[in-house]
Amino acid sequence: MNFVWNGPMIAFYVLALSVLGAGILMLSVRKVVYMALSIGGVFIGAAGIYILLGAEFVAVAQILIYVGAITILMMFAIMLTNHKAEEEPFRWTVRNATAAVGSVLLALVLLAVIRSTTWPVQSANLNLNGGNSNPVAIGLVMFKQYAFPFELVSLVLIVGLVGAVILAQERKEEE
Amino acid sequence: MFQYWNDYFFVVLFLLLGIFLPVAAIWVLGPLLRPKHPTVAKNTPYESGVEPVGDAHVRYNARYYLFALMFVVFDVETLFLYPWAASFHQLGLFALTEMLMFILMLVIGLAYAWRKKVLEWS
Repeated sequence: MNFVWNGPMIAFYVLALSVLGAGILMLSVRKVVYMALSIGGVFIGAAGIYILLGAEFVAVAQILIYVGAITILMMFAIMLTNHKAEEEPFRWTVRNATAAVGSVLLALVLLAVIRSTTWPVQSANLNLNGGNSNPVAIGLVMFKQYAFPFELVSLVLIVGLVGAVILAQERKEEE
Repeated sequence: MFQYWNDYFFVVLFLLLGIFLPVAAIWVLGPLLRPKHPTVAKNTPYESGVEPVGDAHVRYNARYYLFALMFVVFDVETLFLYPWAASFHQLGLFALTEMLMFILMLVIGLAYAWRKKVLEWS
């Protein structure tokens, strides 16, 4: 491994540290509201890493959907149910110890797999005519090659909408 | 690729400036400039207002959840509009009908919610 200290490298380490930090914060705070907020921090850091990888559209999607909508949804779900729930302080029990050993083993296995996998090198002649623009390239592929799957997405969304309506109606009848 | 990252260098610069300015104004410059004579009345959440009652963390009405879910659905729709608009010049009419169908489906969903009267508050 040869480290080169250039801008992107530093940015990667800053972002990776902030993602890990927010993740650890999420596990260590005891109030559910704070947990949901620190998950938002993880999402923002992940968006930064996507930008670093050149996937600008995915990064914007991450911020729009995950930071903007999913985190809000989680906050709503928490505020609707037991918003004052707090976890017990951490204690070393047999169950927690086995969970810790299992997590460390899983991390080691994942690390070994990642290190031994040969990653495909990006081919120079990618067949995208979007030029430098990420959304244009995605749009050209999505609305030409994958026109039908795109229409199916609207079906999935409408299912979510109808489900929400039915949920709300049941509530209304209860009142 | 380096050109790409250089562009984002300015984004980072603006981000840092955006964090620095309010922090400097509120925590550094503000306390130096403003007089500080706090009284009990000044420290209430609403000065010359109504005394707050109870806890701010109340349990919300479950029907707000519908609006959160609908917000997610239409957020996803907005996301798809973006690459469509960016590549519209090269796609033409076919993409327009495609997107109109997509939006029509979601409008049907919205109309369904409207008809079922879940958007109304009694």
